[in-house]
Amino acid sequence: MNFTSFNFLIFFPLLVILYYATPAKYRYITLLIASYFFYINIKPVFALITAGVTLSTYLFTSLMGRTNTGPWKKRFMVINIILILLPLFFFKYFNNINAGIFALLELFHLKWPLPKIKLFLPIGISFYTFMAIGYTVDVYNEEIESEKNIGILALFVSFFPSILSGPIERAKNMLPQFKAQINLDYNMVSQGLKFMLWGYFMKLVVADRLGIYVDAIYGNIYQHNGTSLLFASFLYPFQEYADFGGYSLIAIGTARILGINVMQNFNRPFLATSMSEFWRRWHISLISWLTDYVYTPLSFSFRKYKVWGIVIALMITFFISGIWHGAALTFVVWGLMQGLFLSIEALTNKEKSIFEKKHNLSKKSWYISIGVCFTFLLFAASEVFARTTNINDAFTVYRRIFTVSGTLFIGRLSILIYGIFGLSILLLKDLRDEFAPSWFLLFENKHKFVRVIAYSSIIILILLIGVFDGGQFIYYQF
Amino acid sequence: MERAEVLSKLTVIFRRLFSNDSLALTNELTAKDVGGWDSLSHMLLITEIESAFSIKFKLKDLNKMKNVGDMIDIIIAKL
Repeated sequence: MNFTSFNFLIFFPLLVILYYATPAKYRYITLLIASYFFYINIKPVFALITAGVTLSTYLFTSLMGRTNTGPWKKRFMVINIILILLPLFFFKYFNNINAGIFALLELFHLKWPLPKIKLFLPIGISFYTFMAIGYTVDVYNEEIESEKNIGILALFVSFFPSILSGPIERAKNMLPQFKAQINLDYNMVSQGLKFMLWGYFMKLVVADRLGIYVDAIYGNIYQHNGTSLLFASFLYPFQEYADFGGYSLIAIGTARILGINVMQNFNRPFLATSMSEFWRRWHISLISWLTDYVYTPLSFSFRKYKVWGIVIALMITFFISGIWHGAALTFVVWGLMQGLFLSIEALTNKEKSIFEKKHNLSKKSWYISIGVCFTFLLFAASEVFARTTNINDAFTVYRRIFTVSGTLFIGRLSILIYGIFGLSILLLKDLRDEFAPSWFLLFENKHKFVRVIAYSSIIILILLIGVFDGGQFIYYQF
Repeated sequence: MERAEVLSKLTVIFRRLFSNDSLALTNELTAKDVGGWDSLSHMLLITEIESAFSIKFKLKDLNKMKNVGDMIDIIIAKL
């Protein structure tokens, strides 16, 4: 089951009724059963891995809770992290490691092929494994006590709104909410519905429409000219934002209807004026996770190298972020590009801020616009590696953009027009929210009439130009 | 060392690092309130503080620094 499936349309309203009909004290149990039902619906055997990760984490964090000092506390943490990373490595990287070993042996004229296993990546494993690791480290650092109730911990790992693609939540935020007695709150339900509606708009109208065009171009990069490839490469970051940002909003909205607050995952990323700001606005839950559990410990241990210590820590962190997305060289390059952009910014940060202050630039709209465009260009350039399946293709896209001229491929005009129309609405809303949050209020207008018109228009747009056979969310593959 | 003394020494470091001569430190001040104080500059700040006060932080201390007040508490405990 996923958020755009017909089953979900039946599952979710039924769950909401059942959830609020359950006595408040036992609501977490209803939610836990529903979460496993939701996940089992995708592929039953995957739920065993989720349960295994939960059991291991429960066992070792309980042991850590009892071992207040001494080396065993650290050992329990390390054992659990290794244990729960094993399935992730196996499913995500086995065939790549296998191919690597094969290639290495071949250099020495040895042929020893291991059988290639047809593996399906259990959806969400990269996300909930990181959540379980975060919880384990938090218990070790005494930021949180080890959870005594295995049901609550199991719900944290398997919580259905976020199990498939995040947001990668923290135990500190979620466990107290699952334990609290939640009452039906009209405001929470109304906010949740608004988030869901906007999330569906982003996914079905913007992402899946743009996706048809981007797929047509990127599916045949050798047939298309540079103009079309350039245009598709500009559209892809928007498609990804609408896809993953839309998914995130549906997840956050679903949770909110159940009375649970889940962290924000995107914050108008394309209005960032630098790459470091961009990475505070894009996939926020992953980057803040990496900041806390990878970047901070690394930069702390390299701190005697001053700014170069930060550069090394950044490169390693974004290398990990790259391979987290997938075991492919393209993602490694993608990650290293982000690390490089951020390192250059870190190295020039001081000069930049002195320059901005001297010429009083930071509030000037033309200067902000240049920053926004430049940041987008850098990210779009790196996304060529995220969209192509191998390095050769990525370089072919670049080469053709600069060498093969021609007129823009249009395909079916309606697809482009609807996609760009939807994207314009999305970007206008982001602009309004960023620079003039009290202007042109539609969803938040004080007149009910305006609000009803606004909701209805979005629903009509979804029904009229939404793509209902667009299939999966992009981030399910990670 | 008195709290006030730590505060004035910190103010010098903060003003230099964030190129802001009018920056006034308070206990409640957090990274959000200071332009340029992000996860990249934070570690430079930590290194500067360590050498200015001749102390060594632990990673755990960093997690406890939620604002400037916490920072001063931790520095005083190390002196």
